[in-house]
Amino acid sequence: MAALLITINTVAQVERGSLLIKNGTVLTITKGTLENTDVLLKDGKISQIGKNITAPAGINVIDATGMHVMPGIIDAHSHLALDAVNESTSPVTAMVWEGDDLNPLDVSMYRAVAGGVTISHAMHGSANAIGGQCQTIKHRYGTVDPKVLMMEGAPRTIKFALGENPTRVHGNNGQGMVPNTRMGVEFVIRQAFSEAKEYMGAWSKYNSAKVKKGFRGAPPKYDLRMETLAAILRGEIIIHCHSYRADEIYMMLNVCKDFGIKRLVFQHVNEGFKVAPELAAFGAMASVFSDWWAYKFEVYYSTAYNATILTRNGVITSINSDDAELTRHLYHEAAKTQKYGGLNDEEALSLITINPARQLGIENRVGSLEVGKDADLAIFKGHPLSVYAIPVVTVIDGVVKFDREKDVDDMRIYVDPKQTIDVADAAFEEHGAHNHDACMKNAEFLLNVKMSDLNR
Amino acid sequence: MNLLKRGMLALALSWPAILFAQDDKALAPVSRTYAIANVNIVQAPGRKIDMGTVVLKDGLILFVGKNVSIPADAIIIKADSMYVYAGFIDGLSRVGVTKPKEESQGGSQQQRPKDPGNPKPEEAGITPQNDVRSSLNPADKSVAEFRNIGFTTAHVVPYGGMMPGNGAIVLLGGRTADEMVLVNKSSFYSELTPAQRVYPGTVMGVMAKYRELYRQAALSRSYENMYAANRSGIQRPATDRVLESLYPVVDKRQPVLFKAEKVTDAQRVLTLQSDLGFTLWLAELKEGWDIVNKVKASNAKVFLSLDLPEDKKDDTPARKKEEVEKNDKPKTAADVEKEALEKRKADFTAKYIGQAAVYQKAGVKFGFSTINVKASNIPSNLRRMITAGLSEDAALASLTTVPAELLGLSDRLGTVDNGKMANLVISDKPYFEEKAKVRYVFVEGNLYKLEIKEAKKGDPNAKVDLAGEWTMTTETPKGKNDETLTIKKDGNNFTGTVSGGRLLKPVDLEEVILDGNALTLRYTVNYDSQNLTVTVDAIVEGDTFKGTASIADLGIFPVEGKKNPK
Amino acid sequence: MKKLVYTTSLLLCFAVALLAQSPKGKSGTFALINANIETVTKGVINNGTVIISGGKITAVGTNIDVPQGAEVIDCKDKWIYPGMIDAGTNLGLSEIGSDQRTRDNNEIGDLVPQMKALTAVNPNSVLIPVTRVSGVTTVITAPSGGIFPGTAALINLHGYTPDQMDAGFEAVVLTFPTTGRKGGFDRRSDDEIKNAAEKALKQLNDIWERVVQYHKVDSATKGNGLHYYPEMQALLPVVRGEKTLMVEVNASRDITEALKWVKEKKVKKVIFTGCREGWRVATDIAKAGIPVVTGPILALPSREYDRYDKAYANAGLMKKAGVKVALRTNETENVRNLPFHAGFAATYGMGKEEALKAVTIVSAEIFGVSDKMGSIEVGKIANLFVCDGDPFETKTNILNVFIEGWQIPMVSRHTQLYDEFLKREPGLEKMKK
Repeated sequence: MAALLITINTVAQVERGSLLIKNGTVLTITKGTLENTDVLLKDGKISQIGKNITAPAGINVIDATGMHVMPGIIDAHSHLALDAVNESTSPVTAMVWEGDDLNPLDVSMYRAVAGGVTISHAMHGSANAIGGQCQTIKHRYGTVDPKVLMMEGAPRTIKFALGENPTRVHGNNGQGMVPNTRMGVEFVIRQAFSEAKEYMGAWSKYNSAKVKKGFRGAPPKYDLRMETLAAILRGEIIIHCHSYRADEIYMMLNVCKDFGIKRLVFQHVNEGFKVAPELAAFGAMASVFSDWWAYKFEVYYSTAYNATILTRNGVITSINSDDAELTRHLYHEAAKTQKYGGLNDEEALSLITINPARQLGIENRVGSLEVGKDADLAIFKGHPLSVYAIPVVTVIDGVVKFDREKDVDDMRIYVDPKQTIDVADAAFEEHGAHNHDACMKNAEFLLNVKMSDLNR
Repeated sequence: MNLLKRGMLALALSWPAILFAQDDKALAPVSRTYAIANVNIVQAPGRKIDMGTVVLKDGLILFVGKNVSIPADAIIIKADSMYVYAGFIDGLSRVGVTKPKEESQGGSQQQRPKDPGNPKPEEAGITPQNDVRSSLNPADKSVAEFRNIGFTTAHVVPYGGMMPGNGAIVLLGGRTADEMVLVNKSSFYSELTPAQRVYPGTVMGVMAKYRELYRQAALSRSYENMYAANRSGIQRPATDRVLESLYPVVDKRQPVLFKAEKVTDAQRVLTLQSDLGFTLWLAELKEGWDIVNKVKASNAKVFLSLDLPEDKKDDTPARKKEEVEKNDKPKTAADVEKEALEKRKADFTAKYIGQAAVYQKAGVKFGFSTINVKASNIPSNLRRMITAGLSEDAALASLTTVPAELLGLSDRLGTVDNGKMANLVISDKPYFEEKAKVRYVFVEGNLYKLEIKEAKKGDPNAKVDLAGEWTMTTETPKGKNDETLTIKKDGNNFTGTVSGGRLLKPVDLEEVILDGNALTLRYTVNYDSQNLTVTVDAIVEGDTFKGTASIADLGIFPVEGKKNPK
Repeated sequence: MKKLVYTTSLLLCFAVALLAQSPKGKSGTFALINANIETVTKGVINNGTVIISGGKITAVGTNIDVPQGAEVIDCKDKWIYPGMIDAGTNLGLSEIGSDQRTRDNNEIGDLVPQMKALTAVNPNSVLIPVTRVSGVTTVITAPSGGIFPGTAALINLHGYTPDQMDAGFEAVVLTFPTTGRKGGFDRRSDDEIKNAAEKALKQLNDIWERVVQYHKVDSATKGNGLHYYPEMQALLPVVRGEKTLMVEVNASRDITEALKWVKEKKVKKVIFTGCREGWRVATDIAKAGIPVVTGPILALPSREYDRYDKAYANAGLMKKAGVKVALRTNETENVRNLPFHAGFAATYGMGKEEALKAVTIVSAEIFGVSDKMGSIEVGKIANLFVCDGDPFETKTNILNVFIEGWQIPMVSRHTQLYDEFLKREPGLEKMKK
């Protein structure tokens, strides 16, 4: 019987480990490529990078001779390890939080780790103009405790969505309410922020009044949706806005300008290249697909050169997956930018390391191999940007979370006692390949469109 | 007629009344004094009296001990050498609670909710002002079902969504709903159940809504207090029945009884508890073995689920034949994989069964929850837990003294001691033995005697011609259902099909066992997308058979068969 | 020689400039010189020449004379490969996935083998130029849906009418009844799935029986005794062994069932497509001698307890067991990623050489067109491309593509948008102050 590589961590604490990785080609991302270099990890942090480091007693050594060592890959758009993706009952659901919904038993997380991905942004779906709050997680597979997955100290983030998804879910073909058009989407966002400003004003008035002597009065109603929107206005939450068309991207920039919101990252942003100068001027960042297009009308006029154009125009760009299958080869997706626009190795690798780290506000912790940063890294046989590369070891917080040589087939943590063995349980979609709209999960019932149509 | 004889006559006369104790028109018992003599009394786990006597009067335990004198007006219960325990107490249940009618959706596509983001509280499953008392029905068959395996007290909760309402501790007896209630509004019941098509439609929505309501209730409560001190000069507090129902929780005067089965949901509930600070009773936990430390640290009161996954043991002759054939062929990679998967599944199933033992070992006191389990499976599930390491004493404690303590009833329930309420269960053998059967149950001093269906003993030497076509009639509350049973003889085995009746197409018999004239059939039918296993146990005599059909968890019904003339 | 090269390069630049205005393919005689040639079937030729004329490859080798008037393309340090073949796509039949009005691959009915993919292909689909500039020159485009959803076609990605794109192969598609779940949304009980599969299998057998009857009557009456019966007429050549049956089947239990069925019904020309779990029953497939088209390689394992890289390794495992394997993407708008699917298959067990064959000559053989394409050999049609390295690597640039001897403009919606927006004008400020 194959034993689980990872024993279940019943202690509600993050495991931190120490390792010495010897003699690899170290791709630091921010400080160049170092040949035949060692990386020493201590108690979950990178403690030393240099040549001929002696292993302290009791620390395991991984021989990386002939291999490439890079920072753990960060996927800025993912729905792994979540029990629900869309609270699609209203166009504004800022009050819900995916952190409440984490499922550490999802084997997809392990499969992502097997592709070198150490951190993902567990996002709310794109059914609503203003969706729920997201959660940055580290793929600490092997625990049953959702709190262990949450990356401590990661800034709060929230999902917004523009375009066809919210208008289909809430418009005439869906729930029959605003927004039915892109005009409506802009209005819903402006309205939400304006109401939030009023709410902030009412509470602020109450809070200053209640400390005065002899004050007697009722507080305004507590509204968690408004509380979250207020936090966005105060700059405490980074907006990650699902968007495709150039005009709606531009609209969102203006809305944010009007409300003084600076922390803004666009997601998918297939037509971002059409407003690259504006994005750069605002300081907004972009997280894009490598080459997904034409699956909806709003991406019919996009190009695989998007990431390159954005990068060349000064927009901090990352490549994401939004898909449990794609996330496993993000290193290959990043490599496509070398075909579509000729980004060099460092630029291409930045798209899946330091740039997504910036977009999630965690660049001081991860995204490059520098002393003091978290011990999150991925070791490859072959250069990660080659199609022949094989991820062999992935380390999170100094603990080996994936080792190809020791990998067993069945990596499930919990097993369903009612399961029928020997039945294929995946969808074998005929001619239609991926479900490009993982972002719409849980919201399909609201559409009059069949799910099978959505898959194509 | 002397007193004794009068007593016996009264007893004889009152037998029908006792048997049909749920009938309103039952004759009142002649005396409310009972004596049970020559019994083994398990007063509490670890406290036993061999061959003692229990005397009950007016709903209370009068005396327990050896050499107790029996009052003259006592009705003697014939229970020599049987075992007496305190009636079991259930931590989370829907015994006696009428299920609300399923409102027809009117076609899911047609009725689009108008403003799904701001629904009425009832649509969102938020009805904390509800009281389970209003849906209690002492005549509900579940009351007798659970009582018949020894439960005398249960903590019942209403049906609903995320906040269905207040629970109550009830006795499994009584003629009216009010009579059943021992403690009203004993808990604030909650589930992580999202609403249908309106907010909150997901678990994260439920969590967010819970936090918001709690915060709103706390604010409203403190404003109310301020207003109560001096009501002039300021606006009156808004009245909101939902928020008002939360005040006792916010004040920590009422615990929250939260149902959470899975390891993910249980942790979500623990998170809510640590975020908001309410007193937590965690119930129906099924996957708790990995979080026992977390649960212990939270100081929540725990009620583990009595529901366990099936241990599917395929013992049919056909399967055994397959096994023999298998061992002759060389193992393929697929076989190795299948074996490994089966082993993992079995090992994992064992974890569910071993959960109670894990909690015992960790020193966490727990009661049991029966909200999901079929009453008839409870004794066998308990035995499985005991085989997996739960001590018998701990099992009994979790059925009696611990829930009494957790529910705040230890002064009057949970043990067989003088002065406590007369809630007893009497079984003919020690309760946890496989062949033990409950014979009598007392609920607040009212006697319930169980009819033991003497299974008609099959004659192993009888010769019976089973093959052929039979008409099988099952009698259910819906009426008589006739089906055609076709049986073929295949060497020493039988195969067959069931068809007709309400079946859309014939169903193969999964098992046909004939032991002399004792027949057992097993097959699965599909109604409303549900698979129901039917087990028929009957005695065959000539061209008829008579017995019972057990249909999934719907019940046991009389069945008769008659061979069709050729 | 240098002058010749210079002039022709100049002419080429001019031509390219013209092409950028209104991209059209160009036919004629071409000489690709100084090239490294991966013939696929006959090894590598360094410093060689390929001559394209009249739509065909007329010469391959070293020391080849450049014909009079040929356009010379210097391929120093470059590589020439046969055009890649994607053995299963929706290309041309579907445009925008979520818009039903643009999808023509899924007709109503369980028995509609007469629906022809070829004639429904949109030769002017925006997706086609995007695909062919990546070196994929030929694809199978297939209907899907019911049990017999239609007839698939092999098309070259150049031409203004479907006939101009017709690459000379068609196959009837069979969607084999499946006992697998259709993913997480499939909440049917095990029995329901089993019943549905049995029902579909019975339906399939009824249909087949009828076609066999039809065949007998048709043979007996020498084609004169029967009325118009398009479904039967479409399946007749399959029963007769004249046309190939492409069976889409994925779960291992279904593959086993399908192998049995094909043998029972004596289907003469058959290909299995999909075979996601082919590795589980690879020896059986090899024994039956049935070729397999599999893909996408970049996919998740089919079972929760499968090893994470099973889908990558599938093709290689089947090949090792002796199955003839060709690769497909099963894509519509990203057929261009075929070389990367092949790259992953190569990395996870298939090896570079076999993976290359699986997107060139093996595909051609499976579809019976290996005399026309799949390798760089004299006499085959000129489906090939020029690139600056290993075409499976993303760093490699595809410089020139030829389809049936037509030089394809290296322009697509994607490149045009790149040209327009890399440095947008006006940029941030509309009016220069």
